[in-house]
Amino acid sequence: MTGLAPIDGLAVLAILAKAIGYGAALVAMGGVLFSTVFATRADAPALRTARQLAVGAALVGLAVLALRFGIRAARISGMGFEGAADPMMLGFVWDSPLGTAAIWRGAGDLAILAILVPRIGHWIALGGSVAVAISFTQVGHALGEPRAALAVLLVLHLLAAAFWVGALAPLRRTAFLPIGADLLHHFGKIAVFGVAVLVIAGTALAYLLSGSLAALFGTAYGLGLLLKVGVVSALLGLAALNKVRLVPALRAGKPGTADALRRSISLEMLAVALILLATAMITTVTTPPINL
Amino acid sequence: MIRQTLLGLAAAIAPVIAFAHTDSEGTTPADGTTVSDVSEISMRFDDPMRIISVTLTSPDGDVEIERETGMEPAREFRATPLEELAPGSYRFDWRGMASDGHPMQGSFSFTVSE
Repeated sequence: MTGLAPIDGLAVLAILAKAIGYGAALVAMGGVLFSTVFATRADAPALRTARQLAVGAALVGLAVLALRFGIRAARISGMGFEGAADPMMLGFVWDSPLGTAAIWRGAGDLAILAILVPRIGHWIALGGSVAVAISFTQVGHALGEPRAALAVLLVLHLLAAAFWVGALAPLRRTAFLPIGADLLHHFGKIAVFGVAVLVIAGTALAYLLSGSLAALFGTAYGLGLLLKVGVVSALLGLAALNKVRLVPALRAGKPGTADALRRSISLEMLAVALILLATAMITTVTTPPINL
Repeated sequence: MIRQTLLGLAAAIAPVIAFAHTDSEGTTPADGTTVSDVSEISMRFDDPMRIISVTLTSPDGDVEIERETGMEPAREFRATPLEELAPGSYRFDWRGMASDGHPMQGSFSFTVSE
């Protein structure tokens, strides 16, 4: 398979940790975005859920960050798990772009914790969300050229994805409540723009990183991307079903709709988890065609 | 439906910020070749690479080599066998970190003729 790095136990661990890290970052950023955008429309329990999720995810993000340092040190050392605690290896990782990204990610996650502080804390948490998004521009192919364009596109892509992912749990919670139908309807209207940003930024990034569509076929990167395409298609299908069928039915008071909607949102969560796993796999063990 | 599918396809071609890709541009001895003697083992990269661990193995076990290149990032890595390599097949394995921080590893093999 072209462009596939060897996959050993440490690589698998790296993929899992990275996927959890992606999820934590999106939920942390998304929780802050949800409680900002829906500050006046959502009910207090939904807003509290969003804030709690943001704080929990930021804490998980910090823990995963430390774990990833150890895994990275072990992978480069050639010593196996012993390398995870080797000061020299950890120093190499700290000196690498992962160190710079960790500063942005760590500072961002800490700032997101400020969402527990009323008023000013919210603005600090918003800044933290942007810092977490920026942290992703400090590593890997985001460091290639044109760097500024890659960075802006990636930040937009991540914030749009986070807005969606971070809203899932609070929306799922409100499906049974009287306020739920209006909140879901309003989310659907905003999400259309969010999906547009996601799609445009994602496609532009893919174009910049891949070089050509033809180059995607026959490579490990291409296959990984196809897997991701499949799951994202299913996710968008679910989202469309919710927006076009279930949310209008919920607004019309059709019995059983709330249950169906909650099931659908749960499936969306599963799809997101698969997408993050696929992305972590692609970014850990495959090389984009342009770099082959 | 078609529109949804197209949207899905476009969204999924999402940013894949993967690892970098400091390819090994060439090695001495070249991979898969048979040589009469090996005075130096070297690898060249298209971007600075921090080579962290290296091993040279023969069917009889590990062979001692001396690194000329330290652990600082470099485009060329050089090492020399401490003793003349006996005829046989050898495999050189390395691990390191690319300039974007991604873990990298690779190997090449060569044969020393009788």
